Amino acid sequence: MPATVDLSRVTFIVMREMRSPLVALIIVYSISILGMVFIPGIEIEGETQYLSIFHAFYFMTYTATTTGFGEIPIRFSDAQRFWAIICLYGSVITWFYAIGTIIRLFQNPFLSRAFSEWKFSRGVQRIQGPFVVLCGFGDTGSVLMRGLSDYGLPAVVIDNVEERIKALQLRDYKVVMPSFCGDASVPKHLIEAGLLRSNCMAVIAITNSEEANLKISALARLLNPNVSIISMSKVEVFEETLATLGGDVHIVDPFKTFAKVLAAAMHNPGFYSFNNWLVRDKNATLDRYIMPPKGTWVVCGYGRMGHEVNRVLSKYGIKTAVIDPHDSKEEEQIDRYIVGRTTSKTLAAAGIENAAGILAGTNDDGHNLGILLNARYFNRDLFTIVRQNRHENEVAFRATEVDMTMQPTLVAARKILFLLIAPLLKTFNRYLLEDIPGRQEKMEAVIHSLREKVGHQRPHLVTIDFTREKSKAVIELLDQGKKVLLSDLIKDPRGREHKLDLVVFVIKSSEQEIVLPPDSYEIQENDQLLFCGTGLAHRLFNATINSEYKLFYIQHGVYKPRSYLARWLVKKMDKVGV
Amino acid sequence: MNLEKVIFGFFVVLALTLNFGFFLGEMDNPAHHNVYELFAVIVVNLVATALKFGDRSQIGAVLFATSLVADLELLAAATYWTFAVHITGTGLTPDVMSSIISLTGGALLANVISTIILVSETLFNRL
Repeated sequence: MPATVDLSRVTFIVMREMRSPLVALIIVYSISILGMVFIPGIEIEGETQYLSIFHAFYFMTYTATTTGFGEIPIRFSDAQRFWAIICLYGSVITWFYAIGTIIRLFQNPFLSRAFSEWKFSRGVQRIQGPFVVLCGFGDTGSVLMRGLSDYGLPAVVIDNVEERIKALQLRDYKVVMPSFCGDASVPKHLIEAGLLRSNCMAVIAITNSEEANLKISALARLLNPNVSIISMSKVEVFEETLATLGGDVHIVDPFKTFAKVLAAAMHNPGFYSFNNWLVRDKNATLDRYIMPPKGTWVVCGYGRMGHEVNRVLSKYGIKTAVIDPHDSKEEEQIDRYIVGRTTSKTLAAAGIENAAGILAGTNDDGHNLGILLNARYFNRDLFTIVRQNRHENEVAFRATEVDMTMQPTLVAARKILFLLIAPLLKTFNRYLLEDIPGRQEKMEAVIHSLREKVGHQRPHLVTIDFTREKSKAVIELLDQGKKVLLSDLIKDPRGREHKLDLVVFVIKSSEQEIVLPPDSYEIQENDQLLFCGTGLAHRLFNATINSEYKLFYIQHGVYKPRSYLARWLVKKMDKVGV
Repeated sequence: MNLEKVIFGFFVVLALTLNFGFFLGEMDNPAHHNVYELFAVIVVNLVATALKFGDRSQIGAVLFATSLVADLELLAAATYWTFAVHITGTGLTPDVMSSIISLTGGALLANVISTIILVSETLFNRL
């Protein structure tokens, strides 16, 4: 057990440092006590009084700590008083020495480190349910943590910047989030963070350093072959290495994710708003349809985002003009490549006046906003995509009223969150975006029913596991050989005439994934279900699958008799329920 | 409408009100407390307890526990009454009477808790 090793280390250090002060205290106390015992006191009725060892110790206890109750139990003789002076100064100085040593010890940064390490691994061990290990608490990490807290999934955080960890400890999360300041790519820290524990679901490597992410992922795979690994990577070389680690590995690249969403929006106008609504983006509604136009596009900044967007646009046969300060060699898919900073001159050269859309995709927010204003001066009807690099510039970006804002940290955080809490969403999205006739109508239908059922309330994306622990009542019925239909579960347990406000997306049943399952679907043990609905629907659904009485009512329309007496009566009268 | 809940609710509220009726009056004055009322409280309470036998839900278990507490205290009061009048022959002196009433006061509290749980369960189910 790593925690006990560290605990013994802390106690060991304290003990070792306290050795000499303790020895000094013992010596001073014993000499003082012996002196008080042997020095004759005053005479009472011709008999010299001596202090007992107990009284001498009592006297020393309050004298050495400078409490000073006086001469107890009887008046002291002058000889005793003289010795008391010596004892007082000697013992008080020794105490100061001892206390000073303790304080110095606790001020030692290494000890406080060992102590916080110990506290951290204790905190990790107290987590009972599933949890994730989060390496790196930057912008992405902090958005992700907020989401995890909303879904009640604890995260164990390691970050090497102390300020971030201190900021984290001040936040109010709904679940315990143990945090530790240290290098996450050190195996010992990963183990302390609970990597080897059986309830560790995933390791998320989203530090600022690509190398560190790779190292963390590799270490996690070596130490625990079963754990899921989610890593953020923006460099292709690392992505290849990550993909060959084996097991369950997800590589999150915010730019690729955005490119996918953009591509989806190209042929499915509802998807962008639907996706934004699902991730609970502010001001996102299901009513807005966004379709990037198919004219010429101007791509400002040919970085990672520029590359990805350009790839999507050219896939759809759209001509692009790229403006970037650096010359590029791969120009096959680019109509015009203009070397230089984006200014009104280069914009004009790129043909902004006749362009249909523009991407402001540099890694400088001020520059991106400038590009937007510049471009709009030339062409009012541009379709705009802008990259927002820093969260703090939110207000400025909102004021520009762009068609699509891409915030890499937010995109990555949401992607990771959904990988953790709604793994089936990937299947659902893939299904919706398949380029098959009729799919777009299906998507319309989904959006329509979501609008009807959830509307302006916050959407809850919920994954339900039909296991013995999480849906007791359903499994009990299945054990008895009875059927539980999906149409039963989506009824309102308060009145079964009504349906709950939710839309079932996917059911996964032993490696088979059924998208938009029919109501007649029969639930099996270990099925996994993904639905989107209101918070109330989520609570009621959970109540149904865990209460035999509610499930009985939903299936039969009458109430299940609760007591022995009622059960006997119902049986006697040959009825199903009351 | 769940008939079983109606019957159970009836007995719980009846137990509470009868208990209150018996409890009402000067604490040490036997003239204010009727023995038949105590009998009725005990019977109704026992029925309410029996109606909760076999309920496997969480709230059912808590309701069962509170009505068991009420039973226990009421039976203790009745036993004390019987002992004082028939076995030791002390009669219903003021201190005997106040012990009996304080026991039924405890049972009253348990019945109040039962009723609160019953009402809140009903409300939560509507939520």
